Amino acid sequence: MSESHILSGITVVDFSHYVAGPHCTRLLAQQGAEVIKIESPRGDPTRTLPLIKNQRSGCFIQHNIGKKNLCLDLQLPEAQKICHELIKQADVVVENFTPGVMQDFNLDWATLKDINPELVMCSISCMGQTGPLAKYQGFDYIGQAYSGILGSTGDKDGYPSLSGMAVGDVSTGGHAYGAIVSALFHKLHGGGGQYLDMSSLDCLFSYHAAHVQMYSASDGTVDPPRCGNHHALLAPLGIFHCHDHYVVIVAIGQQWDNLVKLIGREDMLTDPRFTELLARGENQQEIIDAIEAWLASTADIDEALKRLQGNHVPCAPVLSIPEVLEHPHMIARGIVQTVNDEAFGPVKIPASPFKFSLFPEPLDLQAAELGEHNYDILSRHLGYSDEKIRQLETGGISATNPV
Amino acid sequence: MSRRHVLDGVKVLDFSHYVAGPHCTRLMAEAGAEVIKVEAHAGDTSRHLPVIKEGRSGYYIQHNRGKRCISLDLRTKEAQDICHELVTQVDVVIENFTPGVMKKYNMDWAALSKVNPDLVMCSISALGQEGPLSKFPGFDYIGQAYSGVMGMTGQAGGPPALSGMAFGDISTGAHAYGAIVSSLFHRANGGGGQFLDITLLDCLFSYHEMNVQVYDASGGQMVPKRSGHRHSFVAPLGLFKCGDRYLIIIAIGPQWANLAKLLGREDWLDDPRMADPVSRNENSDEINAAIEAWLATIGDAEKAVKILIEDHHIPAAPVLDVPEVMEHPHMVQRGIVQTIKDPVFGDLKIPASPMKYSQFPEPLELQASSVGQHNEEILREKLNYSTEQIASLTESGVLGARDDT
Repeated sequence: MSESHILSGITVVDFSHYVAGPHCTRLLAQQGAEVIKIESPRGDPTRTLPLIKNQRSGCFIQHNIGKKNLCLDLQLPEAQKICHELIKQADVVVENFTPGVMQDFNLDWATLKDINPELVMCSISCMGQTGPLAKYQGFDYIGQAYSGILGSTGDKDGYPSLSGMAVGDVSTGGHAYGAIVSALFHKLHGGGGQYLDMSSLDCLFSYHAAHVQMYSASDGTVDPPRCGNHHALLAPLGIFHCHDHYVVIVAIGQQWDNLVKLIGREDMLTDPRFTELLARGENQQEIIDAIEAWLASTADIDEALKRLQGNHVPCAPVLSIPEVLEHPHMIARGIVQTVNDEAFGPVKIPASPFKFSLFPEPLDLQAAELGEHNYDILSRHLGYSDEKIRQLETGGISATNPV
Repeated sequence: MSRRHVLDGVKVLDFSHYVAGPHCTRLMAEAGAEVIKVEAHAGDTSRHLPVIKEGRSGYYIQHNRGKRCISLDLRTKEAQDICHELVTQVDVVIENFTPGVMKKYNMDWAALSKVNPDLVMCSISALGQEGPLSKFPGFDYIGQAYSGVMGMTGQAGGPPALSGMAFGDISTGAHAYGAIVSSLFHRANGGGGQFLDITLLDCLFSYHEMNVQVYDASGGQMVPKRSGHRHSFVAPLGLFKCGDRYLIIIAIGPQWANLAKLLGREDWLDDPRMADPVSRNENSDEINAAIEAWLATIGDAEKAVKILIEDHHIPAAPVLDVPEVMEHPHMVQRGIVQTIKDPVFGDLKIPASPMKYSQFPEPLELQASSVGQHNEEILREKLNYSTEQIASLTESGVLGARDDT
């Protein structure tokens, strides 16, 4: 068997749309799995998100490279039957409808496990398949609000701040990927199929590396507020002004000594207000002022960073997107991938964060048009005749590029 | 044979510390893998992070459940030999030192792949094993700064805001988990061992679900910028104040029509200025003012959320703080919070694993170790060392003393 990547030979039937599900199945495709995306004739709403060029969405391309496309109207029993036939041959099903919708389509776990007992099915949702909030339609920021992520970001007395990217969707897609390959590994060892209930809420909540245990273990006395641009409890850890730019400095371990020597404040090493980590947090304004005074005394941000790095103080410039794309380190790592889309033209997207030594080159993958592989999938996977495929199109059960 | 969990039988040797690496090996332990954590005599630095009770760190417990601990001075040849012997018996090695440190210890991929060609080795770092920045020590927020994640968070015109949790570390731990298990699957199908270079930078950068392609495909015309509590490209999407609380409202898809009707502004549905999420964003002041006026008539954020979502199917949520999350009936029903019973620390609540498997609905009962707690057990069981050998290694300082806090 010729093998293009680590998940070669795995077949995925993908009912997902927007970002969380598609990110997961994109990771599966980038690792060599065959992904068949089932899309409604209305199309994945991501097809309308910016940037649009030649009637193609760059956002859709980013999250759907490497997937074949079968366009079906899932409200119709004939379309559901086609899905059942495909799922009989597949290893994995991924979906991210609002809980309950897959059952309306006769495609819930109870139905599918009878069709294929070895199936790994992963439902991705905002709030999970169970609990009082499960029935509501959710988006990334809804999960961020309910998980306490939004409540922990921004100025203490002002509005919380939105993160300017899909922290919940992409991370949930990444977690779902891990759970799916674990279940495949388990199946390979004779464990059989199973169902995975992944939610943005659960994933986002697990981001609280410290907060939950602190609140719990302090019996509710320690409840860090959202902390603006400096950490609520630890210092120095935050964002500092530096010559019309910002730098982040993290010096909470042994780097504290290096930092105070560099900025000429050795007196802080013996000052009882600064000898302990938590005491430095309580008295952090004086530390912040001392660091910003030193930063202002440097020639420019490059010199400041060089001297901090030279003294082993972890630091970084806060970069904008254009600056990230041009940074020599990012270029050296190939962090940006250029996709050559036939309709859209070349477009840059973030590369897969998985770097496997056996497969150093990313697979060359394209995003599909709606219904692009209807014929290929129905004929090759299911052995349908040309006439039957035509009938499905005229009956509105499947459709090629209707939007 | 009945299996205890999905990664039953998988053996991991774990050289990681702080959060990103330990989160990955915690996920592996929670999925049934056997994890041996190698720690310096002084212990993982996170053993000193708050909350400390009876000399034990709640922070350490959260990220190190289910791992046995051997304390070794990796600068000594004897300790390196012990690790090489263990490596011959394991499936996975994980480490998150600054790049170069594992090589100094004779434990880089070049050395370990000779010891065990079927090994899956995963290095986790802030900025990667190669490239101009790779030699610098990194933390979560360093990766956030270089990936453009930090620059995209906070009020427009003001300083960026620090996210109040470890985005980079946790997400990188999870991505590393996915890459490792994929490699194990590949190996089980005859693919052999391999090396994984996983970074906070790459994972955080992949969060830009829109920013990178929008900037690139617009030829640099659309520059993503932090936009405070409202989205920079699409509307209506943002935070609103109602009474003394905040809520988030998202109506960029078909829900836009529902919102326009609720606000009594059906005229917007035919207004070309409001035709799509991007043009609505250009005229968002008008929309946001109408939303704020409506919220003022309601006066209570929870009530507003209920009307929006239940009566009009417009996605909305109240902004909760961490204590509110932990007490919310939905979170309680989902078991999102897990209570750990630590023998030294006592009861402790932590976020539960987000991976929910139908075959294994109950989480495994796992404990965090003290430094060197399993020195004897591991050397005896895995390498058949005698009591004398173990005593001599302890005396010479290769093995650390067991410290039960």
